[in-house]
Amino acid sequence: MNLNLKARRNNSYDAIVVGTGISGGWAAKELTEKGLNTLVLERGRDVKHVEDYPTMWKEPWELPYGNRLTAEELKHYKKQNRTGYTVTQSTKHWWVKDTDQPYEEIKRFDWIRGYHVGGRSITWGRQSYRLSDIDFEANAKEGIAIDWPIRYKDIEKWYDHVESFAGISGQAEGLPQLPDGKFLPPMELNCVEKHVRDSIKKEFNGRVLTIGRAANLTQLHNGRGACRFRDRCIRGCPYGAYFSSNASTLPAAAKTGNMTLRPFSIVNSVIYDEEKEKATGVRVIDANSGEMIEYYANIIFLNASAVNTTLIMLNSISDRFPNGLGNDSGQLGKNMMDHHFRIGANGVYEGFKDKYYIGRRPNGIYIPRYRNIGSDNRDYLRGFGYQGAASRQGWERGVRELAIGSELKGIITDPGNWTMGITAFGECLPYEENRMWLNHDKTDKWGQPTVVFDCEFKENEMKMREDMKNDAAEMLESAGLKNIRTFDDIGGMGIAIHEMGTARMGRDPESSVLNKWNQVHAAPNVFVTDGACMTSAACQNPSLTYMALTARAADYAANELKKGNL
Amino acid sequence: MGGTVFAPNILGILKGCTPTPGVDWNPVFFSNVQARLVSELAEVILPADEYPGAKDLGVPAFIEKMVTDVYDQANRDRFVEGIESFNSIAKEMYGSDYADSTAEQKFEMAERFNTEALTQQHGERPFFLAIKELTILGYFTSETGATEVIKHLPIPGSYEGCVPYEDIGKVWAE
Repeated sequence: MNLNLKARRNNSYDAIVVGTGISGGWAAKELTEKGLNTLVLERGRDVKHVEDYPTMWKEPWELPYGNRLTAEELKHYKKQNRTGYTVTQSTKHWWVKDTDQPYEEIKRFDWIRGYHVGGRSITWGRQSYRLSDIDFEANAKEGIAIDWPIRYKDIEKWYDHVESFAGISGQAEGLPQLPDGKFLPPMELNCVEKHVRDSIKKEFNGRVLTIGRAANLTQLHNGRGACRFRDRCIRGCPYGAYFSSNASTLPAAAKTGNMTLRPFSIVNSVIYDEEKEKATGVRVIDANSGEMIEYYANIIFLNASAVNTTLIMLNSISDRFPNGLGNDSGQLGKNMMDHHFRIGANGVYEGFKDKYYIGRRPNGIYIPRYRNIGSDNRDYLRGFGYQGAASRQGWERGVRELAIGSELKGIITDPGNWTMGITAFGECLPYEENRMWLNHDKTDKWGQPTVVFDCEFKENEMKMREDMKNDAAEMLESAGLKNIRTFDDIGGMGIAIHEMGTARMGRDPESSVLNKWNQVHAAPNVFVTDGACMTSAACQNPSLTYMALTARAADYAANELKKGNL
Repeated sequence: MGGTVFAPNILGILKGCTPTPGVDWNPVFFSNVQARLVSELAEVILPADEYPGAKDLGVPAFIEKMVTDVYDQANRDRFVEGIESFNSIAKEMYGSDYADSTAEQKFEMAERFNTEALTQQHGERPFFLAIKELTILGYFTSETGATEVIKHLPIPGSYEGCVPYEDIGKVWAE
């Protein structure tokens, strides 16, 4: 009894944060800075900023196999490599092995992920956009799913807060559908991108091409270095020049002295106390020893990523919650969304042969949504934005050259034509039948249930894709590009690596899992602020919104705790 | 890559093997005839001129590594069949292994295969395009290829999106 009490005291904290990715890092920073003694749990290994980025300085000739995986290695990353870009010699340590971490797909689902401190904040695309009231109001206006319980005014100052710390470079454009932020100086467009920008402005009313808003620093910022334009972000940045948990939020949390970071800690479930009507802690499996350990806290932030947070909640069974923690509505695991993309066009620009660029810009262009805004009215709901870039063709084009020998060498040691490609990222509606659940009969090597996905894009997305493809070709064509080719390869849901929506926020406990403060309706000291909380997807890259919602929820949680309400 | 070409040969001698005649690395997967063909054909695709050739930069050994370790079984088999069939045609046309034919004959045959491969509309990817791709990849990702034949900046420091080409003068390595 005494031993148990002692263990309980030693394993008790003010707060527990589950996960160290984009949102977990923010929860850790905000809670520790508010003075809360916080345990931060990560299922994978530790990754220390800079010292654990093994490939950050590798030059092309220092990477074996032209940076490609061997056939033997690829056997372990069949699903992780469905994107075609994620797993290489320089990045393979950032992704789980599918052979170690299986999941089932009733329909193809691309669940791309990395288990280590920092999670996917190390490998993310860094595009950072605000949602607007056009997004927050859409469900209510159109009668789709349920209403968001918040509006732009509720989150605006938290966007300011996270942007000021993270450092987002970009250009203010004054667009209602894509609110401006607290930007560092924008990166530069190249010759062809400027040309296409001017053409779009002239030819297409209401459409704007701007430089991507990226969490890459264009100047020194909060003690982190400016981008040196190596475009090797995905390997980890020695200058800390892009936002990751490892470079930014976790060091800030560590600095407070209030953080205990515990890697190799797989959260099995949340402990719920039926008498107190709240959660009291989490059950953790030590990934190395297999030992089950309980940790206790007054507030718990679930930031394990949409799918894994939902897994933990579905696996947290009690008499009060036989279908998973906080799942009175039955919505837990439903309404899975992602962005549908990999559709657009590219073409050749025959001018500017006397121009080139210096540096490898880790960012591209963005064309914010213009469909179904104002007087524009399509035969589908919502819209899409484009990302892309122009560049001159490199030596790789040599394979298709008719020349061989010295003539070939002469051709490909010069750059080729300017080309530009744009791909659309479309909003996916929340559909209740797009869901994930747990298979308790098929467990992983730690005895944990595995995830089953049954999700698909539907008619609204398919109709939207017609515009996504045709508009791309039209904009490039009107800017004078030649040999325009369209492409369309939707892949599985998940391939945008923006999975979200499976524990949505809402006003009504009967139709949602979380309230407007990201609190589990029926377990108010549990907060979910990763992608699982999203009520709709919008078409913007979502990470900045997760950051803002996390900071907002952490502020609320700390205040409520102080008031004795949690 | 260039600097490491010598190392396997040392290992070969220590193990009591003699280096394979006619090539500058110790093939572990290709036969001698195959290795010589790959060496010579890579050199025809990117020959030594004012800049080093494919052989100077260790490209043939790189090709073997890619075919052995990166290609899956089906592509590996197809590549080897491609070498064999290429050599048979050389023998028919010139009466000798491809590697032993004259410089003019080597170029003539490679040029013909390149044109045919690029104009072929359907079917499996031709062997010639596979070896051409590996040759170009190995060449321009080698240190000498990337830094001396074309331009490479490990740390550019900034991005300038529209500068006179003459200020740079070569394609960027990446």
